[in-house]
This record gives sequence, C-alpha cells and structure tokens, in this order.
Amino acid sequence: MNRMGKMKREVGFTGRKHRNNWFDYLNYTLMILMVIITIYPLVYVLAGSFNEGIDYVRGGIYFFPRVFTTDNYVVVLNDPRLWRGYFITVSRTVIGTTSALLFTSMVAYAMSRKDLFFRRFFYWVSIFTMFFGGGLIPFFLVINMIGLYNTFWVYIIPGLYSVFNMLVFISFFRTIPEDLHEAAIMDGASEFKIYRMIILPLSKPVLSIIGLWIAVGHWNAFLDAMIFTVDENLQTLQYYLMKVVRESTMPAEGVPLPPEILNTISPETVTLAAIIVSVIPVMIFYPFIHRLATQGVVIGSLKG
Amino acid sequence: MVAGTSKAYKITKNRLQLLLMASLGFLFLIVFAYIPMFGIVLAFKQGDGYLNILDAMVNSPWAGLDNFRAFLTDRDFLNVMRNTIGLNLLQLAINFPAPIIFALLINEIRAKGFRRRVQTVANFPHFLSWVIFGGIILMLLNMDTGVVNAALIRLGFVDEAVNFGEARYFWGTIIITSLMKGIGWGSLIYVAAISGIDPTLYEAAEIDGANRFQKMRHITIPSIAGTITLFFILSVSNLLSNGFEHIWVFQNQINLSRSEVIDTYVYKHGIIGLRYSYTTAVGLFKSIVAFILLLSGHYTSKRLTGRGVF
Repeated sequence: MNRMGKMKREVGFTGRKHRNNWFDYLNYTLMILMVIITIYPLVYVLAGSFNEGIDYVRGGIYFFPRVFTTDNYVVVLNDPRLWRGYFITVSRTVIGTTSALLFTSMVAYAMSRKDLFFRRFFYWVSIFTMFFGGGLIPFFLVINMIGLYNTFWVYIIPGLYSVFNMLVFISFFRTIPEDLHEAAIMDGASEFKIYRMIILPLSKPVLSIIGLWIAVGHWNAFLDAMIFTVDENLQTLQYYLMKVVRESTMPAEGVPLPPEILNTISPETVTLAAIIVSVIPVMIFYPFIHRLATQGVVIGSLKG
Repeated sequence: MVAGTSKAYKITKNRLQLLLMASLGFLFLIVFAYIPMFGIVLAFKQGDGYLNILDAMVNSPWAGLDNFRAFLTDRDFLNVMRNTIGLNLLQLAINFPAPIIFALLINEIRAKGFRRRVQTVANFPHFLSWVIFGGIILMLLNMDTGVVNAALIRLGFVDEAVNFGEARYFWGTIIITSLMKGIGWGSLIYVAAISGIDPTLYEAAEIDGANRFQKMRHITIPSIAGTITLFFILSVSNLLSNGFEHIWVFQNQINLSRSEVIDTYVYKHGIIGLRYSYTTAVGLFKSIVAFILLLSGHYTSKRLTGRGVF
C-alpha cells in the first residue's frame, strides 16, 4: 500500500511524468559531492599506504602512489601488536556480543512476563539508571573493587546488560503470541526452557539487530582499553591505532625487519597502511551490516 | 485435586524462576549503576588517592562542598565550561538540523537506485571508529603532506600551509568531522519517519496545487516534528557531554585551550591524577545539570507541543 503511494508520488498524482527542475539538479549535485567527500579520504589513504615512505613525506600523493611499494604493509603485518590487537578485538566482539545478547534477552524475557514478582519495582529501578548515573570515577572505582581492572573481562562483563536493549527486547517479546507460553506451561516446561526453546528461536530478527549494535560498539571501542587496562597484551586494535595516530608512536617499532625496508618507510605511510588493514574487515562486512542496521533504525525508533 | 495442587505448584515454581532471571539483571544494575550512584558520596569527601571505593566512601573524612568549590574556582574551570558548552551549542545549531535537511533532500530524489547508493555511501563512516576516521582526517589535514592544505594553496585561499592542529581550528574540525561522520546515519531516522507519512496527504496537496516546497513545509516537516522534538530534547540534555573519543583523537598539546572539555578533564585529573573525590564532584555537577536540562526540556516541550520524552 505504502509502496503504491510512493509510486504514485513519483509520477505525480495527476499522472504527469515529473520533469527535473533547478532544484533537482542542485540536489543531485549536492548528493554527488557528498559521495565524493565520503569516498575520497579512503582513496587518499589507500594511495599513501602504497607509496614509498621517504618519498611520501615530500607531499603530493593525492590519488595514486608515486613510488609504488608494499613495504608499509610488510611492516604493519609484521607488527605483533597489531595481531594481538586484532585477536583481542575479535575475541571481545564475539564473546561480548554473544554473552550480552543471552544475558539481556533472558532478563528482558522475565521482565516482559506479567506474572513476575516485583515487576514494577524492577522496571523503575531499570528506567532510573537511564537518566541518572554516578559518572566515570565511581564506575572506575567499582571496576577496581570487583577485580576487573586490567583483565580481559573488563571488556565483557560491564557490557552484559543494557536497559535500553532490554526495553527493545520487551517490545519485541510482546509480539510473540501468549498461547505459545500457555501451551508450554501445560506441557510442564520451566521458564528457562520456554526462554531457550521458544523465545530465543522466535527472536532471531531482534537478536541480529541488537547483536549488530553491540558488535559494532565492541569493534570500535578504545576508551575501556585506555581507562581500564594497562597491560599491552590487553590492548585492542582501536587502542593500538589510537596510540599510533594520536601519540605518533612509530608503528612497528622494534620489529625485526631487513634494513632496506626500515630505511625507506616513514611513520606516516605505515600509519596509513595500519588504517587500511583495520578498515578492511568493516568494508567486507559492510553490505551485510548496512542492510541489517537500516532495518534496526525502525526498531530503535519504535521504542523511543 | 492432586492435579490442581501440582499445577499451582508448577506456576509458583515458574514465577520463582522468572524472579531469578530478573534478579540477575537487578544484581547487574546494583553493581554497575547503583553502587556508583552511592559512590557519589565521594564528591563530599576527601577520598583522593584511595583505590577501594568502599574504603574511600566509609573511611575518608567529610569535605562538605570543598570539592565543588575547588572546581568552580579552578583556573581551568571557565575554559573547560566554555569549550564544553560552546562545542555543544555549535553541534546543536549545526549538527542537529543537518541530518534533517539531508533527509528532506534525500526524500526529494526520485531515482530509487541512486538514492539507495547515496545512503549506502553516506552511512559508511558511522561504522568506523573515531580513531580510524579521525586518523584519516588528520592525514588529510597534515601540514606537509595533506591534500587539504595543497588544495587551499592551489585555490589561493591561503599563502602557506595552515597548521590545523592549532587551537583556533579545533572547534571547526570537530563540527565538520561530526558532520562528515554522522550526517548520513543521523538522517536515517528521519527518512524512516518521512516514509511513514500517509501518501494521501501529498496527493491532496497536489490537487490543491502545492509545489514541492509547500508540501515539504506543510506536510513533511509537521509530520516528523515529533521525532525532531524528541531528538532535540535528548541532544539538549547532553549539553555537558562531548563525545570523549571524538575529542580525544583530535586533542593535542597546542590546542588544549580550545579542546579541554569536562569529560577529558575528568579523565586526566581522575584516572591519571588519582583525584577521585574532586573528579566525582565534577562528574556529579555534570550529571545534575544534564538531568535538569532533560527535565526542563521535557516539560517545556510538553507545554508547547504536547510531546515529551517519556
């Protein structure tokens, strides 16, 4: 119905085919400009990352490499810190997303049941935390107190539960027919079993969208690594890159490489190569991510 | 009779299972939300230097409002507040309406394929971290090798390369990078809202001879006003928070006078400087102002438009 309406609008209600006027041309120009502004920086980075380091510093590499080389990538890919960062980031994304989805959806299931004891109390206790918090320092001290500081689990446990996601789950669970629950109770199923065997399998759409939000958050986070860890072995990919970008740490410092490579690279080009190496996974998954995320916007807005 | 009792027993057992599941969430909130909230008591104590929160809360001496007084009279206070609020007001004035305008423009594109491609490209930066996106921008802005300086010189806007790391360029950098990264993604919610508008409204307007600007003004914008109000109130309540990661990537030693905001200030003095009580007070100051702004935004909007956040 909606699509019909849109089609009608395209041709105009009176049936005349729409003719482009100055506004359309301006609009198309703006959009194309927008696309160029978004894509060009990636072209720039790509060109620089394939350019010889000493030559790059002379400037002028804007579209294509002038002196082509893959040395920058050799350096980056030989840096154990990058691989460790990758390993930590992938681990936290996989473990963190799975555990947060299971935990939050389980609590949400209980909160969605009308026969939950103290339901209103639980509900308001949750809502209040969305509007008021203790701030960074008390939170930091709690992390310290319960022994999460400088452990891998500081990436996982504080992210297990989110009130916002819980509310999104609840609004989805409301659409699951109550009969299913009643029938399961008749068969003597426990609530855990109902959650596991009925609710989870029926919730795939909402699980995948919330899972995507959580996973993107995990992939991109560097603040928690910066605040809650000191151990280099625990630093995430983004935190490693942050140090490279912000503190001009020479990437791949101390990596044993032949002198003919070390003498020609520059921090700039190696940084560019490091950026490309960490963007690649996002690019590969982007078509999938984008489709899912666009559906998610509607779900997220329903809640608001 | 026997069947009846066992069913009642079953139902009670199930209700207890539900209680257990919900309690896990409750327990989580106690640890990660409510204990920190009670930790606010630190703001009124001299707990600087303690590592254990309970120890600091229970055993440190009271300080009254000293920590707040110290912040208000700190030589960085005015600077930090100016940067925090100034940057946010700019964001509110520029980065808030931009996605709405972008959504309206997107909506005017009739070629569906082109429209989808523009959206796909425009949303991409949203999925990059601030480290990567900021890192790319810093490369583009580089004094010696960056393309931006080369273009400015070639076009004759400047005579010699500009150092974009300087303090006076900081706010501009933040606003523009925010736009570049967020405009596409930010517009999605409005595009979704626009596509939910009843098409018969447009048909009726066309019969009345309305042109596209009149339709935009009298149908599209009023129809998405609710969404706009909601997001506006939420943005206002964030007046004292700047995206930490965003600021952090672009902050350097020479632009501190324009780039130090409450969040970075708390991090430096609290986490690095171990002044826990002092920075808790700063954080509480921030939370209270944000809470007041949210509530006043909510009630003002309720009075004016009949719509609020909750």
